[in-house]
This record gives sequence, C-alpha cells and structure tokens, in this order.
Amino acid sequence: MSIMQFNGSAVVAMIGKDCVAIAADKRLGQRALTVSTDFQKVFPITDRTYIGLAGLATDVKTLHERFRMRVNLYKHREERTIEPKTFSHLVSHMLYERRFGPYFVEPVIAGLDKNNQPFICNMDLIGCINYADDFVVAGTADNNLFGMCESLWEPDLGPDELFETISQSLLNAVDRDAMSGWGAVVHIITPNGVIERELKGRMD
Amino acid sequence: MDAQFAIIGKSFAISVTDKSVAHSIVKMKHNADKTYELTPHTLMSVTGVPGDTSNFSEYIQGNVRLYGIRNSQNLSPSETANFIRGELANALRSRRPHQVNLLVMGYDKNTNESSLYWIDYLSAITKVPFAAHGHCSYFVLSVMDREYKPDITLEQGFDIIKKCIAAVKMRFPINFTDYTIKVVDSNGIREVSMADL
Amino acid sequence: MARRYDSRTTIFSPEGHLYQVEYAMKAISHAGTVIGVLSKDGIVLAAERQATSNLLEQSIGSEKIYEMNDNVVAGVAGLTADANILINQSRLIAQRYLQRYDSPIPVEQLVRKLCDMKQGYTQFGGLRPFGVSFLCAGWDATFGFQLYQSDPAGNYSSWKAACIGENSGNAQSILKQEYKDDSNTELPNATSTSMSMDDALKLSCLVLSKTIDTAKLTSEKLEFATLTLKAGKPHIHVYSSEEIDSVLKEHEAVIKPSSD
Repeated sequence: MSIMQFNGSAVVAMIGKDCVAIAADKRLGQRALTVSTDFQKVFPITDRTYIGLAGLATDVKTLHERFRMRVNLYKHREERTIEPKTFSHLVSHMLYERRFGPYFVEPVIAGLDKNNQPFICNMDLIGCINYADDFVVAGTADNNLFGMCESLWEPDLGPDELFETISQSLLNAVDRDAMSGWGAVVHIITPNGVIERELKGRMD
Repeated sequence: MDAQFAIIGKSFAISVTDKSVAHSIVKMKHNADKTYELTPHTLMSVTGVPGDTSNFSEYIQGNVRLYGIRNSQNLSPSETANFIRGELANALRSRRPHQVNLLVMGYDKNTNESSLYWIDYLSAITKVPFAAHGHCSYFVLSVMDREYKPDITLEQGFDIIKKCIAAVKMRFPINFTDYTIKVVDSNGIREVSMADL
Repeated sequence: MARRYDSRTTIFSPEGHLYQVEYAMKAISHAGTVIGVLSKDGIVLAAERQATSNLLEQSIGSEKIYEMNDNVVAGVAGLTADANILINQSRLIAQRYLQRYDSPIPVEQLVRKLCDMKQGYTQFGGLRPFGVSFLCAGWDATFGFQLYQSDPAGNYSSWKAACIGENSGNAQSILKQEYKDDSNTELPNATSTSMSMDDALKLSCLVLSKTIDTAKLTSEKLEFATLTLKAGKPHIHVYSSEEIDSVLKEHEAVIKPSSD
C-alpha cells in the first residue's frame, strides 16, 4: 500500500453557476485504524479561495502552514489578496521544488477570482496542474468520486443545487471506501460569501 | 509494545502509560515514568525507540521551558503541541528522524479548557477527546469509544481508565504490572496511584 | 574630537557616546511626525508625509504606515529605505512564529526581535545603524492593545500615547496634557483609559495640527490607521484619502485654532 493511502482521505471540488464548491471527509487513520473523525483537510487561503489537501496527514499540516506563511507575506507585501490561479501556481511551484523527495499530497484548489469567475484545479504530488471546468477529485476514494461526479454533476448548478450535488457525490463515494468518510465538510463559495456546512456520514 | 493512552474532560486530562521498559525479551525496568512535564499545565507522554524518546523529549522540555523563561509567559497546550509537531516534522525529513509517538495534553488557563493532541512518529497531529498509541490502542480505543461522553467528571474518567486497563489485562499478551497515571487540571499536574482510581 | 570616534559605529567616545547612533536619532528628529494613541477599544496611528509635490505620483499604498502582521501595524519615522528592510524582517519574524506555534506572535516579542536586529547594527563593525524609529500598535490575547516605541539604538518602551519624528518633544507634551489617563493599576500594559476611539482620533488631529508646519491639514500630507477588534479578532484599517478628509472635517473644531 502506498504512503498516499496511509491516512485516508477524499476531497472534491465542483464548478457551479457563479459559484464553486469544495468538500472533504473528516477521517484520520493509520491504515485501517481510525484515529480521529475530526481532521481538517480543507483550508481557507483567502475569503474566496480554498485548498483541500488529500494524502499523508503530516504533509497536509506542513503544507498548510507553508502556504499560509507564503500567502500572508504576499498579502502584506502586495497589499491585495492572492488570486486562485496565482495561488495554484504557488502551490505547484512549492511541490515541484521537492521533485525528488516530494510531499505526499494531492491538492485541490477552488475559488472565485476578482471577476467572480469560478476556478478549480487539482495537482499530483509533484505539482502538475490540471485545470477543469466541471469537477476535480483526490484521495483514496478518487475512483468512487469520479463515478459519482460523472453521473450527478451538470453545468450551471446554483449554490443550493451545487451543495446537494457535491454532498451526495462525496457521501456516496466514501461509503464504499474504508479509508475515508466519518463525516464531511462542504464549502460553497459565492460572490456574497462562503457557506460552510458539516455533513454527518456513516460512522462505521 | 508499550501502553500509552489518555482521555480528557471539560477541565482535566488523564494520562496513562505503562511503567516497563523492555529490551528484546528482557524487562529492563519496571518503574519508568514515560511522561514529561513541559509547563506546570502541560504534560507529554512518549513511547517509541528508547534513545529517541528521552533525547527528543528532553530537547522539547528544555526548549518549552526556555520559552517560558525568555518571555515570562508559558506556551499554551495548543502552542506547545504545534511546536513539538514542527520539531518532529523537521526531523522527519532530515538525515535522522526521531521515532516517537506522543500524546500532548494540558489545561489552558486562559480559556479554562483542557485539550489533548495525538501526534505520531510521522508528526501527523490531531486534536482528540481520547487517544492511544501502539498495539494497546486496538483494545482501549474500543472501550473509550463506547464509554466516552464530552461532559464526563474526573471520577467517570477514572472509571473509563480502569475499564481500559482491564481490557488490556484481559486481551493483551503482555502483562503490564503497573501504570503511571497523571491528572492535569487547573491545579497543575499530579500523579495518581492505581489503587486510588 | 568627535571626528576620532564617529567614523565607526562600534567605538565609544571618551564621554561615553556612540556618535553614529546619536546621528541616526538626529536624522529621525527631522522625519515626518508619527503619533500613536491608545484608547480603550483600539489604537490610532497618525503620520505626516513630508515632501509632497504636485508632480509626485501618489503612491497607491501608504508610505509611513505598514502592516507587520494581522495583529500589528507600525508607523515609521526616518529613512524609508532602512524601514523597508526592517518591515520585511518583522513580517518574516511574525510568520515564522505563526508557523512554529500556530498562534499569532505576542506584540512585545515581535518588537523585541526587531529591536535585537537594530541593536546588532550598533555593535558589529563597519555597519551603519538603522535610521528608523517605529511606533508599533498591536493586540494580543494576553495583554490586549499595546503601543510600543523603538529607536535606532534598539531600545523600546510601552506607551499610552507616543510620538516620534519632527517636533516630537512638543507633541509629547500636548499628549501628556490632553490624554485622559485614569489608570489605577500598576500593570504596564493594561489598557486603563476612558478614551474612546473617537477621542483618540480627535487627540491625534489636535497634536498633528500643532506640530505640522502647514496652513491647512490635508489628506495628501497625512496617513491614518486604526487597530481595533472585530468579532474578537484584531482588525487593521488604513484610511483612504477620502476617509482622512472626513476625519479632518469631523474634527475641524480642534484643528482650526492652531491655523490662526
């Protein structure tokens, strides 16, 4: 089993009409043993850009700290907040820096840019960016998530419909994955603010 | 093959560690204390490779106390846990990582809350109401899952600990004769003997 | 005599002076005035911009007031180029602390680290001291709102109202007269004043009007920033020129008498 599957995770992001959503499960385990059911994998970067980190829990924490540092320095120096696309290149660069001793995470980035255009992308562990105009997935439940998203997602979903779609996709994907689940957290990013909702999942 | 677990209530934390140090099939020590007092209100229990445990813990203890002296104010439990994780994470990607499993618990005098942090040898960190490391976790986590409630009293906490120890005694092939049991609350850290549980 | 002891920063004069450090302080006493006033629910920083010209492109950001961290904002008097180095360092120090402890840096620790750096340049050979004084306004959970002043020697001290730059002696005495201090506590950092944010703004306007050598205070010559609490978190607000104009208008009464 790869180190990417050591702690278990499921992260998904979707584009809607003038909004984006990002969601992740809450489990932290050591292989099959569940240690915590309240482990944060999605982090706010700005008011309207979020990053989800699937993979090895220690690197999730390390990278979140490093991103936060770089984004804060950017904010103070530039006197503006970072755009989602700019941020994704920062992430990509920081991952590729460790090309031959990588952080074992697959990032998912979702946000609205300064023109309120939705943006999502994901990356592999060495920072190869994949832009998408529908949905992106990562983690141990990625195959399940692809299947769910492929059948449930459709273009131009409003915030409420998008919430329903991403929640059902995630919950049903993690139900068939032993390494992820145990509740989930969903963020819907709209021009008027972010809606955060906690989901209860199967706890077995 | 150590026993190491902990549980918290609203304003207290209980740490349990076994007292034996084994080398191969020989028990080298039967009265070891595997906990370290970092500040008057923060306790860390440590298991893992014997050399690493004491070396790393004493380094952490020294630095946390140095912070207290330099800044005439101690780190809170959450700050302490994050500092420890950072040091462990830096070591992880160095030439020689420390192989230690940690539980950091404490009582925060500013927020009047107790907290417990689970940190493994890869320096993954998570805040939990109860936690365990090693093979014992397969037994004690099940007990704590069933018995734990967020508003337990200290006595109820002791009851859960007793049940955990009973489960280990019943099912674990190694017999631990004695445990170090410590309580952290607003009064600081104190040791409780098995008989007083 | 002075010539023999002021060519290097590391040498004491026979009278016990470090001339280069004293010259640095002299440089600051010609710089634009910066005022900081502590109130019970926040801190006001006000700064004077010198050397304005119609030809000068109005910079987008502020040039006298900088955010050091989400909980610390600083006003600068002295060489802006020197200040930029220190501001950059302080931002790094604050972010390193956040990364290490996952909590914002206590204000005094940031000020102390910054002053350690300034001190180093008064002692180690061949280097010129930083020609900068700071007024750091900050908030932390333990000590609440705090205002610190620092000088090129690396000294720092905590104040309820303070002033650096040109005419600072004058300004300091006005602050001492007008500041409503009802402290009955001995704690150095306790915010023990009945001053409101509005009182603090008013006092800043009064002091600026008496220290700045100009016929009329305008937004081109001034910068304002406040540090307050918003939903339990520190909030820094750097005023736009429209906002400065409206502050000046609001406190016209205190400003006017001086221009007569």
